[in-house]
Amino acid sequence: MAKIGVFICHCGENIAAKVDCTKLAAAMGEHPGVAVSVEYKYFCSDPGQESVKKAIREHNLTGIVIAACSPRMHEATFRKACAEAGLNPYLCEIANIREQCSWVHTDSEMATEKAMDITRSMVEKVKRNNNLQPIEVPVTRRALVIGGGIAGLQAALDIANAGQEVVLVEREPSLGGHMAQLSETFPTLDCSQCIMTPRMVETAQHPKIRLLTYAEVESVDGYIGNFKVRIRMKSRYVDMSRCTGCGDCITKCPAKKISSEFDCGLGKRTAIYTPFAQSVPNMPVIDKASCIYFKNGKCKMCEKSCQLNAINFEMQDEFIDLEIGAIVVATGFQIQNTAVYGEYGYGKFPDVITGLQFERLASASGPTAGRILRPSDGKEPENVVFIQCAGSRDPSKGVRYCSKICCMYTAKHAMLYAHKVHGGKTHIFYMDIRAAGKGYDEFTRRAIEEDEASYVRGRVSKVWQENGKLMVRGVDTLLGKPVTVVADMVVLATAMVPQHNAKEFAKTIGIAYDEYGFYNEAHLKLRPVESSTAGVFLAGACQSPKDIPDSVAQASATASKVLALFSKEKLEREPVIAINNEATCAGCWGCVLACPYNAIEKKDIRDRSGRLIKQVAYVNPGLCQGCGTCVSFCRSNSLDLAGFTEKQIFAEVMGL
Amino acid sequence: MITQERYRTTVKELLANGSIKMAIGYKPGSTPDRRRPLFIRTSEEAEQLVLDSTCVQNLSGYLVSEGLLSDEKRVGIFLRPEGVRSINILAAEYQLNADQIVIFGFDSTGREVRPLDGRSAREFSGLLNELKEKPLQIYKEPLLERIEKMNAKERFDFWQEEFSRCIKCYACRQACPMCYCRRCIVDSNQPQWVNTSSHTLGNFEWNIVRAFHLSGRCVQCGNCDRACPVNIPLRLINQRMANEVLDGFDHFAGLSATQEPVLASFKKDDTETFIL
Ligand SMILES: Cc1cc2nc3c(=O)[nH]c(=O)nc-3n(C[C@H](O)[C@H](O)[C@H](O)COP(=O)(O)OP(=O)(O)OC[C@H]3O[C@@H](n4cnc5c(N)ncnc54)[C@H](O)[C@@H]3O)c2cc1C
Ligand code: SF4
Ligand code: SF4
Ligand code: SF4
Ligand code: SF4
Repeated sequence: MAKIGVFICHCGENIAAKVDCTKLAAAMGEHPGVAVSVEYKYFCSDPGQESVKKAIREHNLTGIVIAACSPRMHEATFRKACAEAGLNPYLCEIANIREQCSWVHTDSEMATEKAMDITRSMVEKVKRNNNLQPIEVPVTRRALVIGGGIAGLQAALDIANAGQEVVLVEREPSLGGHMAQLSETFPTLDCSQCIMTPRMVETAQHPKIRLLTYAEVESVDGYIGNFKVRIRMKSRYVDMSRCTGCGDCITKCPAKKISSEFDCGLGKRTAIYTPFAQSVPNMPVIDKASCIYFKNGKCKMCEKSCQLNAINFEMQDEFIDLEIGAIVVATGFQIQNTAVYGEYGYGKFPDVITGLQFERLASASGPTAGRILRPSDGKEPENVVFIQCAGSRDPSKGVRYCSKICCMYTAKHAMLYAHKVHGGKTHIFYMDIRAAGKGYDEFTRRAIEEDEASYVRGRVSKVWQENGKLMVRGVDTLLGKPVTVVADMVVLATAMVPQHNAKEFAKTIGIAYDEYGFYNEAHLKLRPVESSTAGVFLAGACQSPKDIPDSVAQASATASKVLALFSKEKLEREPVIAINNEATCAGCWGCVLACPYNAIEKKDIRDRSGRLIKQVAYVNPGLCQGCGTCVSFCRSNSLDLAGFTEKQIFAEVMGL
Repeated sequence: MITQERYRTTVKELLANGSIKMAIGYKPGSTPDRRRPLFIRTSEEAEQLVLDSTCVQNLSGYLVSEGLLSDEKRVGIFLRPEGVRSINILAAEYQLNADQIVIFGFDSTGREVRPLDGRSAREFSGLLNELKEKPLQIYKEPLLERIEKMNAKERFDFWQEEFSRCIKCYACRQACPMCYCRRCIVDSNQPQWVNTSSHTLGNFEWNIVRAFHLSGRCVQCGNCDRACPVNIPLRLINQRMANEVLDGFDHFAGLSATQEPVLASFKKDDTETFIL
């Protein structure tokens, strides 16, 4: 016999002002199977919860309904109270008479009627609830960090320093990401390499970190605590166990005219190369597409020069399979291809460059050893025009969002230029100066006041060449006049956009992304570092445009999430999962295809002598997320969802 | 006649050399224009084989009877093009292995029966793709066109009128090769989603559930509406759903044995007109 307790909460005035709680309590008290029906001002309060527990014990209740606010608010609270009173927590149901009733209705009488319907339907449901036990799954205490930029490095170091194992996967030959390319960094103007390189070295030498560079994630299966990840080790053609990084091969390589990706095309590299001098690991790779041997079958100069026989032209891609408990995605960003702005002449005029190229010019380890020189003739420019928002905040050709860092780095560029080229003049075309952040506004003020950056508020319509000069035509909206500035060099603050393969990669790991390809957090405000998939976390610019302080802060936050996950031996999961009736399953495998989480497998049913009788669907409780897709698909009605069984839902509907 | 004789010889040969263990065909029924299924295991039984334009039943449902194919031996079967499509669906839904089925294909125009080329379902793919391209000509139903012209209210009244005769005998389900579930949803009574009694609500529930379960799977063989003892034009409902999935998802049921079920799969270029 059902003995249900109904607890009707006033929520102060929130519910009681519209719903006649006394009438509701009386009506529910009369409903068959209800043993006790009471009202109270705040059931979520301490005395409120105590009264629920007391009622459970006194009346030996077999289930309870809390008629109150949304289950998102307090379901957990009341389940816990149930458990403390010795009742299985899944025998507690919430009837939402606040968000779905009192808050949205004006007529008191009708609201009371509706509250009765809602509560009654939950009473009918809870009569059919079953005792459920949380599902326990083991946790593999090993984290995978994808991306070796500053965000990935920070996350890996934080996790490893707390004593947990980390595998760090970087697709380029070296760690570093974009930060390794920067010259000096706002807002403190400290040298990027100087703060970055020690981190890279520390990561490579850390006993708890396994570093896999020139590697990519091939596939991810499994679920939180129990991912199975396959990594492709791209063939470097250099045996890392032998190579000491002496660089003899690089000096001997005759293919020397290859445009350097790291120097954004401003410098050259060889076919066997390390991206930059401080690369970690400091071991080269052969770029197969540019290698003379791979093209013509003749050369092998590098092989001959290597004293340690580290070069191996026969090397193949290899695969490594890993068991992983948590994943941190830190795959960063790329800059937008500015060639879409034909009017700025990028790609047409060599002295129109991107902000990232400017970083390489300003970098002491860059192609010009830190001198600001024009790519066209190697001369020092006397007038430089910077164009902000060259792609950002432009729904027509670029992206709609603000890239967040360009105002700051443009101010930085103007300062670096003023420090390096005395007497040089800068003009900065801008829409707004967005310098919110610690020390940021002061920084841009410094550029204007001390380094004499001249800011022009307005957009540029055209850049063209005349008598060896770049002519920049724009509008000064403060003066309300068109202006033309003569420049020796133009620097475009290009938009920060997702990696070119961001969307496909999201599908490989099974996380959600926004319209651009930035990865979605589970909740913008309350769960900003978790992805929508349990056990996968987000750090750095792969989630949205970020500067270094933000990327590092988020990376440390993911580390704390990962460590919290690893602090337990087993994970508890909600037991709301699909269950299959093997007797009636027709084995059509429609559910296998329909399940968005790949949670359904084929299971053999055999007789005593081991002969296969039939195959049926089996729901893996560790993988199932309880979405119910399969339940609605199954024609033979074999699948059902624990906690929301068809019996329960039917009773709920009939109770209305 | 010639086709019938040729096939009879072929069946005998295949039985004799052990290529098939049985052939499913037609034999005379209770009246001159009715046929009943024939299960041929010996060459004597093959003598009863009839193949003419009145052989309309889609026999493929017999293939999934419990245990028939579990010895992995091959079974022959007489099929019209719709029947071949149903073999593909049954294979795509893992109810049988298409390699075990030897097809004796035929079709008819007027009273003339002619054989179709091919022995395995795969060999019919050219023919089936042609059907997909011009389904409307082949499956043109004057009544369907009339119904399409009705407004929602008229249509509802039409079907209410038709369904009012349904006696919940489930003959339509038994006759349909796609209705192979060991337990149909109407047989599950915990909870009883579909009312068993034959009143308006229960009849609507049943016929609509069936229409949904057959959408993207019905091959328009007509077994159901021939089986219906009260002559409800059931095939029209399924034809309508077939048109929907063809328009909406470019899905023509039973094109191949590896076709993914339309309601359980997803293509990136699916139109999503139904999302408001
Ligand atoms: C011109 C310019 C100037 C800037 N100046 C400053 C500044 O002065 N101060 C400041 O605070 N910020 C500055 N920034 C911003 C700074 O570069 C970023 O905040 C920072 O680099 C973000 O770090 P990240 O690790 O998230 O991404 P990234 O640096 O992009 O690193 C991502 C890493 O992941 C790797 N990766 C990508 N995909 C995969 C994959 N599928 N598998 C494995 N590895 C993968 C990449 O190879 C890369 O190494 C500047 C940016 C630009 C463009
Ligand atoms: S959809 Fe239903 S009948 Fe088909 S395999 Fe899955 S559980 Fe079995
Ligand atoms: S409930 Fe959802 S996640 Fe679970 S098996 Fe069914 S379809 Fe997959
Ligand atoms: S629903 Fe009717 S017409 Fe369609 S496949 Fe089944 S029996 Fe044939
Ligand atoms: S065969 Fe006809 S009468 Fe029988 S259940 Fe089907 S629709 Fe109803």
